[in-house]
Amino acid sequence: MTRRGGPRLVGFAVLAALGLLGALALRRPELAVAAAPFALVLVLGTRLARDPGVAGELLLPSERTLEDTEVAADLRVEASRPVDRLELYLELPPEIELVEGTAARAIRLRAEEERELPVALRCATWGSFQLGTVRARARDPFRLVTWEARLGSRQRLKAYPREITLRRILAPVATQPFVGSEVSRTKGDGIEYADLRDFVPGDRVRTINWRASARRRNLVVNERHAEQNTDVVLFVDSFVDVRAAGRSVLEDAVRAAAALATRYLARRNRVGLVGFGGILRWLRPGLGATQRYHLIETLLETGVEPTYTWRHVDVIPARVLTPNSLVLALTPLVDPRFVTALEDLRGRRFDVAAVEIDPVPLVEPGRTEIERGAYRLWLLEREVLRSRLQAQGIGLATWTEGELENVLEEVRTYRRYSRLARV
Amino acid sequence: MPVARGDGSFQEVAARSAAVALLVLLAALANGWAWLVPVAVALAGGTYAAELSLDHAPVDAAAPAVAVGLLLAAELAYWSLDERERIPGEAGEGLRRAGFVALLGLGAFLVGATVLALADAIGGGGIALDLLGTVAAVGALLAIFAAALTERRPD
Repeated sequence: MTRRGGPRLVGFAVLAALGLLGALALRRPELAVAAAPFALVLVLGTRLARDPGVAGELLLPSERTLEDTEVAADLRVEASRPVDRLELYLELPPEIELVEGTAARAIRLRAEEERELPVALRCATWGSFQLGTVRARARDPFRLVTWEARLGSRQRLKAYPREITLRRILAPVATQPFVGSEVSRTKGDGIEYADLRDFVPGDRVRTINWRASARRRNLVVNERHAEQNTDVVLFVDSFVDVRAAGRSVLEDAVRAAAALATRYLARRNRVGLVGFGGILRWLRPGLGATQRYHLIETLLETGVEPTYTWRHVDVIPARVLTPNSLVLALTPLVDPRFVTALEDLRGRRFDVAAVEIDPVPLVEPGRTEIERGAYRLWLLEREVLRSRLQAQGIGLATWTEGELENVLEEVRTYRRYSRLARV
Repeated sequence: MPVARGDGSFQEVAARSAAVALLVLLAALANGWAWLVPVAVALAGGTYAAELSLDHAPVDAAAPAVAVGLLLAAELAYWSLDERERIPGEAGEGLRRAGFVALLGLGAFLVGATVLALADAIGGGGIALDLLGTVAAVGALLAIFAAALTERRPD
C-alpha cells in the first residue's frame, strides 16, 4: 500500500514549528507549551503508524446474469494489522448500479480480521462489463498518515438481454433439406397435408387415403409437406444508436435479436449473426444451445464504433450469408449504408425481412421553425424509404412500442400477401 | 490571561485578530481548503503570542488551556473537512472519534502543564540553559520536518 501524509501532517508540523520558533524569538515558554501538543501528536502518530497490510477482492456469484436482475456479490477484505478506518470504494462501470447504499463505505478492522461485506448490484442494460477493482484507503488513529491501494482484480460480468417471449416468428420462404420444424414447400415426411397422388409400390400403407381411394376406385396416398430447417441470419444495424430517456434503439435491437435467435434455434433452425456497422462482427449459422450462447456472447459485444467508411455486403463472408437463408434485419433505418446493404441483399435474391426499431419517439422535433420543418421532412423521407423497401419485396414493420410479436405479425402479413408485380 | 489584564485598545486589537482567525477558519471549512486551517490556528496563536510579548507577567498559567484550545480547534476543523467526503462509517464511529479527540485534548493539557511547570522551575536560568533550550528547540524542529518529509514520500 502507498503511504502518504495527510493535510494534518503538514498543518501540525507548521504549527509546532511556528510555536517553537515563537518561543525562541519572544523568549516566552508559553508558546512552547502551545506548540508541544502538536509536536507530540506528530511524532507519536508518525512513529506508531504501520502499514495495515489490507487485501481484498470482489466475489461475484457467477460470470453471467440477466439485465435488470440483482447480483448478490460480496466484498471480502482483510488486514494483517488493526485499521482504525478503512475506506473502500467499489469502482463500477456506469451501466452497473448499486441496488442500495453507496459505492463508498468505511469500516474498522482488527488485526488478522477478515470481513465479507454484502454488495447488491444490478446491470441496467445488457452487455459485457469489467468490474472488481476496489480502491482502499486506510487511516491511522491520529489521521496523520494514509495508506492507499487498489485491491482485487478485474472480472468480467456478462448481463444477457432480458427475454422477450415470442410465440410465432417469421416463416422462411425456402428451406434446406435438413430436418427441422419449418413447413417446407417440398413434399416429404411431415404433418402438414400437401396433396394426393396415386399409390405406387413402396408407399407405406398408413399413408393411403381410404376415402379418396374409395371415390376414385384406385389407391390414393396422402402427401405431406416436409418439415425442414432453414438458415436465419440476424442482421443487426450497429452504425448508429439513438438514445433518449433511458431507451436506446441499439439495446432494443439486441434484445430482439436475442429473442429471435432463441426462438429460431428452438425450432431447430441454424441461426447466424451479422453485426453490420463500424466494426463488422459475424457468426456462422449453427444449431443448438451452444450456438445460442455464441450468439448472445457476440451480441453483448455489439456497440457503435463511429466510422465514415462505406461498407458493402461483399465484406460479409459467403459462408455466413448462405443461399436461401432468411435475412432478418433489425435497424432504425437511419444510416444509408445499412439501407443500401439491405437493398443489395434483396437484389441478390436473398429472402429479406426487416424490423424497424423506431427512433422517432427519441428525437426532439426542435424549437425553431426551421428545425421543426427539417423534422417533418425527415419523417417524410422515412416514409418514402419504407415504401421503397417494401416495393423491393422487403417485408418491413415498425416497432415503436408494445410487443415484438405484433410487429412480426405485420411483417408476416406483408409476406403472405405480397406478390411480384410485373409492369 | 494577557487580554484580561490589557487596556481597551489592546482588547480591541485582540478581538479583531481573533475575528479574522475565525473568518479564515470558516472559509477553510466552507470551501474545503485544508491548507487554511493552520493559517487560522496560527493567527489565533499569533494573537496570543502578541499579547504575551506586550504583557510583562512572568508565566501565563492559562497556557495549557490555550494549547488545548488550539489543538482542539485544529483537530475538529480537520475532522469536519474529512467528513466532506461523505463516506458512511460503521455505527459508533463518530462517538469513538469524539472520545479520541477528547483524550487528545486531555493529553495536550497534561503535556502543556508539564512543560509549563518545567519552564517555570528552570526560570531565568542563564546563557547555558538558553543555549540548551535553543538546541532542543532546533532539534525538535528538525525532527518534526524530518517526520513530515518522510511521510510525503510514497512507499
